[in-house]
Amino acid sequence: MRFARLPWLVLTPALIFVFVGVFAPLLMTHDPAVQDYTAILQGPSTAHWLGTDYLGRDLWSRIVGGARTSLVAMAFVLVAALVIGVVIGSVAGYVGGLVETVLISLIDIALALPSLVIALALMGVFSGENFDWLSDYWKMVLALTLAWWANYARMSRAVVVAELQQPYIEAARVMGASHLWIFTRHILPHVLGLVVVYASADAGALVLAIATLSFLGLGVAPPTPEWGQMLVDGMSYIEEYPNLVIIPGLALTAVVVSFNLLGEAFALQKVPRALRGRLLGRKRAERKAEDQARVSVEGQA
Amino acid sequence: MTDSDASDPRPRDKAANSGPAIEVEGLKVHFRTSAGLVRAVDGVDLAVQNGAFHGIVGESGCGKTTLARAIVGLQSATAGHVRILGRDRADWQRANRKGFARSVQFIFQDPLGSMSRRQSVLQTLEEPLRIHGIGNAAARRRKVGELLDLVSLPASVLDRLPRSLSGGQRQRVSIARALALDPRVLLCDEPLSALDVSVRAQIVNLFARLQDQLGLTIVIVAHDLAIVREVCSAVTVMYLGRVAEEGAARPFFADPTHPYSQALLSAVPSPDPRVEATRVPVLLEGDPPSPLNPPAGCRFSTRCPVVIEACRVTEPQLRAVQHGGRSACHLADTSGHPIL
Repeated sequence: MRFARLPWLVLTPALIFVFVGVFAPLLMTHDPAVQDYTAILQGPSTAHWLGTDYLGRDLWSRIVGGARTSLVAMAFVLVAALVIGVVIGSVAGYVGGLVETVLISLIDIALALPSLVIALALMGVFSGENFDWLSDYWKMVLALTLAWWANYARMSRAVVVAELQQPYIEAARVMGASHLWIFTRHILPHVLGLVVVYASADAGALVLAIATLSFLGLGVAPPTPEWGQMLVDGMSYIEEYPNLVIIPGLALTAVVVSFNLLGEAFALQKVPRALRGRLLGRKRAERKAEDQARVSVEGQA
Repeated sequence: MTDSDASDPRPRDKAANSGPAIEVEGLKVHFRTSAGLVRAVDGVDLAVQNGAFHGIVGESGCGKTTLARAIVGLQSATAGHVRILGRDRADWQRANRKGFARSVQFIFQDPLGSMSRRQSVLQTLEEPLRIHGIGNAAARRRKVGELLDLVSLPASVLDRLPRSLSGGQRQRVSIARALALDPRVLLCDEPLSALDVSVRAQIVNLFARLQDQLGLTIVIVAHDLAIVREVCSAVTVMYLGRVAEEGAARPFFADPTHPYSQALLSAVPSPDPRVEATRVPVLLEGDPPSPLNPPAGCRFSTRCPVVIEACRVTEPQLRAVQHGGRSACHLADTSGHPIL
């Protein structure tokens, strides 16, 4: 796939994020949870590359650890949401009829509410005693998954319905293919092709959602390093030690912006290329010419 | 493109072989639409003899494609029965879908659309074999090679995607795919209309050669009478969801009895200059009436140049006529028929 107009540079933060998240244990210089009261709120040094926080924890190691926390949670949520979405969307699209109507209503309800609101509500539900067996981390993953699948379901259904109308599906039926064969060999590849691309672009929103939940104290529990939590912790010291907020904030911003630009690039791929550049320019020129013509006509009158 | 099928394309008359391959009885296919009930196929009886090359012709919208689709079960019928090779089609398909597919195959109008755009020609041709679990990789590969030879395609097309093939090549691939399971009956829904005129002759010859070589029963839906005249051994003319006339090709083309058949035929240029010089095209006025609301009596009565009072009242049934086939016209019987 080609990215016209997308400098590869903007993808660097996303790539670094994934790299750091994967190799976090090798990159951390300290245990991100260990408190060192002899080294509280220090600036950058050779021992602590980015300094330390109010409990003497190494900021670099916590940033790296935070990347891993986000990456793992994000991967769980994306994979789970994708599987649920593809299954529900495919069933709706392939089976049709009443099943489709019911599932579409479900999807529409889920899509009508902002994902984060659903996630917050579910976190509230999960805080009840019945869910004590679930750690906060998994509650967050579960809540986000249940808030995130609907988009994939909607897309999957659309692709399934569109593909089913293709005559080659009929041709496969005539050849004696079973529904399972048609779905797995012909339809699923199309569904995954679109949904996986969309998921990779959706990652930014999910990283932000994870940080938001943690920022609100609902997601990852201390002492696990997490960017949203680091922001909360650093807020009290923002005047004297602003880097406690700036560094995780910058990391978060860079990753989210980077993933969002990736998503935008994918979205632009869908627009016919001519419409993006030259055609828009020509349209603009035409409008300008029209305006000028009108002005001159009005001037004469 | 090379073509080895330049020999006489007209098939031997095999129509007499051992009973009908396809029997259609009182078939109706109605569609419920927002505008009302569309009677696409409205009571069709049809018999296709074993080993015949049977042409179904008619204007757009006369229900010929729907009929072909209903015969293979791509379209569920509102009423009526279809028997193929002596077995009830619906029962057969319900009991043994794959077995049915091995005996009866269908070729679509749009060869490109009927193939997955992500599959190479090799994958496309292998798919029916894989669906039916026929042979191992080597045997399948061998079979694909045979199929290519059968439809005169070079092995170099195997790695290409359907969209990078020419129209004629695409139709050859789709024919080869239909033949992969060695069917006995082949139905073709306007297999030529997506092709350039220059390529049509090649594909027509290919069909004729295949029928000769493999002893297939072929039903071809077409609106091009010239092609049907060229290769078919039997013809059914449809008008507005009903059979207007049917018969063996040679006598039918020599002396069609239904005014509609005559009008259709008069529009076909003849390669014989003497015949062409005497040809007087009969122009039918207007479009065929809507299948939403077919006229009372004979369906052709609204456009028929020789219409009589009875035509607007009673619908004519198919009855024997001079050429040995049957015609649904009040004025046609074994003693005579109208001549436009």
